[in-house]
Amino acid sequence: MSVAPAARFTGQSVKRVEDDRILRGRGRYVDDIRLPGMVHAVFLRSTIAHGRLLSVDIEQARSLPGVVAVVTGAELAELTNPMQLGPETPPSIIRAVFRPLATDRVRYVGDPIALIVAESRYVAEDARELIAVEYDVLDAVASIEQAEDPTRPILFDDIGSNLLYSETMQFGDPDAAFVGARVVRETFSPQRVTHVPIECRGGVADHHPGTGELVYHAATQAPHALRLLLSGVLGQPAEMFRVVTPDVGGAFGQKAGASREDVAVCAASKLVGRPVKWVEDRVENMTSSSHARSEIVEIAAAVDDDGSILALDVNMKLDLGAYPLLPFPPSFLGGIVRTMIPGPYRIEHLRWQHSAFATNKASYGTYRGPWAVESLVREVLIDDIARELGLDAVEVRRRNLVRTDEQPRKMATGPTLEGVLALQTLERAVELADAEGFREEQRRAREQGRLLGLGFATYIEPAPGPPDFLDSVGMHLGGERAVARLEIDGHLTVITAQAPHGQSHETTIAQVTATEFGVPLEHVRVVHGDTQLTPFSVIGTGGSRAATMASGAALHATRMVKQKVLEMAANMLEISPDDLEILDAVVTPKGDPERGVPLAQIAMAAYFMTPEGEDDGLRSTAVYDQPRGGWSGGTHACIVEVDAQTGVVKIRRYIVVEDCGDLINPAVVNGQIRGGVAQGIGIALLENALYDEDANFLAGTFMDYLVPTAMEIPAIEIEHLHGEPLAEVNYRGVGEGGTIAAPPTVVNAVADALGGARINVLPMTPESVLDLIDAASGAA
Amino acid sequence: MSIEVTLTVNGVERSATVEPRRTLADFLREELGLTGTHLGCEHGVCGSCTVLIDGASARSCLMLAVQAAGAEVTTIEGLSDGEEMGVLQAACRDSHAFQCGYCTPGFLMTATELLSESPHPTEAEVREAISGNLCRCTGYESIVGAILLAAERGV
Repeated sequence: MSVAPAARFTGQSVKRVEDDRILRGRGRYVDDIRLPGMVHAVFLRSTIAHGRLLSVDIEQARSLPGVVAVVTGAELAELTNPMQLGPETPPSIIRAVFRPLATDRVRYVGDPIALIVAESRYVAEDARELIAVEYDVLDAVASIEQAEDPTRPILFDDIGSNLLYSETMQFGDPDAAFVGARVVRETFSPQRVTHVPIECRGGVADHHPGTGELVYHAATQAPHALRLLLSGVLGQPAEMFRVVTPDVGGAFGQKAGASREDVAVCAASKLVGRPVKWVEDRVENMTSSSHARSEIVEIAAAVDDDGSILALDVNMKLDLGAYPLLPFPPSFLGGIVRTMIPGPYRIEHLRWQHSAFATNKASYGTYRGPWAVESLVREVLIDDIARELGLDAVEVRRRNLVRTDEQPRKMATGPTLEGVLALQTLERAVELADAEGFREEQRRAREQGRLLGLGFATYIEPAPGPPDFLDSVGMHLGGERAVARLEIDGHLTVITAQAPHGQSHETTIAQVTATEFGVPLEHVRVVHGDTQLTPFSVIGTGGSRAATMASGAALHATRMVKQKVLEMAANMLEISPDDLEILDAVVTPKGDPERGVPLAQIAMAAYFMTPEGEDDGLRSTAVYDQPRGGWSGGTHACIVEVDAQTGVVKIRRYIVVEDCGDLINPAVVNGQIRGGVAQGIGIALLENALYDEDANFLAGTFMDYLVPTAMEIPAIEIEHLHGEPLAEVNYRGVGEGGTIAAPPTVVNAVADALGGARINVLPMTPESVLDLIDAASGAA
Repeated sequence: MSIEVTLTVNGVERSATVEPRRTLADFLREELGLTGTHLGCEHGVCGSCTVLIDGASARSCLMLAVQAAGAEVTTIEGLSDGEEMGVLQAACRDSHAFQCGYCTPGFLMTATELLSESPHPTEAEVREAISGNLCRCTGYESIVGAILLAAERGV
């Protein structure tokens, strides 16, 4: 009998476990949950940006047949504790204190004022129409500039200012580096955007009046964080509070925190003693969930004539919107942008100023690659530098990128660069884009009046980053945990702290653990998203941590179970566990397959004759911490054609060359990259969560907020490079890089097409492109 | 006021009594328990709620249940033959077409219509056909590939 080699499921695009249900319409998203006695909730929201709430008349609404409850801000405040950042927040960080529903002040268009609970959503919406609200309108703080203006109103009176956080830091000796150096500067103000998961936010809160237990079925990417935060605000003890995540229809960071709506819905279930479902509609999602980006960044680079970047001087101002989205302190974003801004470049000196403001807009919510603005401003500035010095932008990158033979090397801001193939990815992208041939094509096209452009951007992504990355940011997360348990039939259950919402972890974690355990893929079930079962993680799924951290934890937990299995089998067979292996669910003496013992038999023994000191199913918990390296990254290249008559930008080619280590499932990896790039292209060309000068929101529907379709997103060519592994678990995350790198790549391509335009505002709409063309011809 | 609505869904006659204002999407999801049809925008742009009415794609969020009375409605639940996935579904699985799965029903129904009208579409035709469906996860390439694969295998 020939022995089959141990099956290796990693490195293959195995079919997704998740697809079996989602392709048949059998997914179970939060809106699909129907519980006995369930009622439906909708929010009444502010129609003005800023004002005192004078009265909320709910009498008519309350008496409408089918209405179960109408809860005002004042009533809800009686039932809940104030919301604010946790007590661990350093005193230098201002903590706004607020309520789940507005009580005396509304602070943005969409601010929730009352919650209506009814037998159906139709009736709840009818009742909402019957509520009369009186406001005393205040001037709005509609921009960072207005937030800085002392004559403007203050959002939170007790704070005394709209400035929520500021820091000034210095790395190296930027003053000396700027002396006598040539300086290239630019001010960038990318637009506000929003995440747009196709499934909006929602939850079903189920408080059991008998036991006092509260179960919240929530579309969240961080069930433990949600429970922790809600538990405090609701006064619901943790052991009586369970957060369960069904299938989640995308999040991109928007479902990472605890929202005021979550609090209100959970409190409503306690109040009415019935399950309460809240699923927001799209207008609500666009208006009130969260927005991101819209930083104003002044950046200056001190450069040598040969294009060496000597130092950066950066001042970033951030618009946090009205209410902090817990648990993210107002210092959070600045910390990552600051840490990441040198990127994979040899930038030794940095002067950094940062301030974050409250404005009358929707809350800031971390969005895919929250620090992305650093790559945008750095990569576009590099092209500006090249043009000012009369150099090729690729040459400027080449000159400044940290080579592999210089690594490990500390970034000026703290983290260690190690295993970063940035330069190799650049060279390969240049090759694939045929930069030289393109320049000839571009010249010929120009003679015919056609505008072609080629742009590059190089980036790194802490996915999860080296151990000193989070120290540099000023965050502490600890390792990631996973649990593995042998089931009584010999199958394996792996419990992850991840809360996937499209990332295919049910498949990828099974690939890693089935390979380790020596069983068919379908013998592994990956369990996630239930605070009663899963290990604690404040992040859940986010920050591109799963590939390394969740895989590493699951691998080690499985290995621990396997070792115990081998020891049990070794006792039965009276041989050394080192001489055993598991092949296709059979524990087999190496080289003697005839004497194999089925895993199911060991499993039965593990339950009925549990070895001393062991838990049910040889249950094992492992903690994984990234030992070294931890960077993904690469170079994107893009070729565009700009229509000089219409200003429309057409992407002709888009190339990604990147290194994320070994691929667990290449199709899943490439899907993450392509999806990320698509969002980045949306940011570059289409999306704009626009407010007017009175902070009225103008982008509440998909007619106003343009999400890219299949017509705008081209085929995306991907090539993976591989360096020397720095750790056994050589899988790295790839969730954010696409969204980070695409905006500067497209900007650089459009700027190149326009003969070197300075582009500092996004999105590049046809109108704005025509303005750039006009400005260039006027200047000429 | 309520009205009895009778229609055929995935080959089975179904009826329920609903208010005239009830959308077809809510009727399918709430009255008939067919939650495979999803709501993504409720203003007719994202396409997640797409179903087939007498073979033609329609936004079930913009249509009232009473308007579909007497019609043949096909939803994502109707694309499989028992436990056997349909050709399009299998092509989507084999192509890793989708990620979070929320937009999925709309794409599958739009593509079903496309392939019934045009069994061998070009890539450009596929992109055009699905341009009224929004996906936020994939960048579309995998979906386009899956539809072309289904066409190649023959729906």
